[in-house]
Amino acid sequence: MSDSSVESHVEEQLMPAMRIAGLLFLLLTASCAWMERTPPQSGAPQGEAVTVEPSKSRPAGQSVPKTDLPDAKTPAKVPASPVPAEQTRKKESATPGPGKPGVPPLDLTALETRLKETKAIGVFTKITLKNQVDDLLDQFRVYYQGRSKISLAELRQSYDMLLLKVLSLLQDGDPSLARMVVASREAIWGILADPAKFATL
Amino acid sequence: MNKRVQVWTLIVAMTAFFTGPSRAAEDVSLLKDMTSVIALLGLPCGQVVSVKRLGDNDHIASCKDGNRYRVFLNAEGRVVAQKQ
Repeated sequence: MSDSSVESHVEEQLMPAMRIAGLLFLLLTASCAWMERTPPQSGAPQGEAVTVEPSKSRPAGQSVPKTDLPDAKTPAKVPASPVPAEQTRKKESATPGPGKPGVPPLDLTALETRLKETKAIGVFTKITLKNQVDDLLDQFRVYYQGRSKISLAELRQSYDMLLLKVLSLLQDGDPSLARMVVASREAIWGILADPAKFATL
Repeated sequence: MNKRVQVWTLIVAMTAFFTGPSRAAEDVSLLKDMTSVIALLGLPCGQVVSVKRLGDNDHIASCKDGNRYRVFLNAEGRVVAQKQ
């Protein structure tokens, strides 16, 4: 058999495979393009109250600088209510305060799940945030035990700062979750600021 | 033979074309993750421009402002950023 006939034979055999391969790559490209345009996942239904659920235990020993804790040396620079006016307006229009009629129940588990699953925040960032939530909860425990020099107003500042950090991380990648966190803000504070409710955490 | 070489060249090129961007996306998300961690810990950095992996949950992050941090998960489960 001559070289040209072998080549044409191979070409005939490869043509269907090439067509299939081309089709597969087209499909792959189309699916990749679709994935890039897909908005961030949101597991919980819209309008459901979402909160930042701090973990209940915290390991002993700390080696991370606590720049955002109430005992940090720069509380004076923190505004009393650091939430931007726009977010405050959203919160007020979206969710009335706790105790008012029509407020959806606070679903801490759902919020915890959504925060764990969101792709808007990286793994290391999530762990860091969890550490800081644990630190804040410890501050509250010490406060309720009467062993703290920190006032409730300072704890509120720390809480607001932590929530702002979470919101800044979520607002671009998972805006629906960010809105839910904003909507749950006062409800979470209601739990933290009430010793009886806090004890149930 | 010539055709086979062409087919294999096409396959290799396509593989490189499709795997390259996914790896780059992973790198970008890690850079963002490290940037967020260092900012959350209140350390000066600006933006992380490169990350070198030392091991599981252990990285060296180089910042735009020249600072370098070893970012790792310690035994207590806390994320620590140590200035290098």
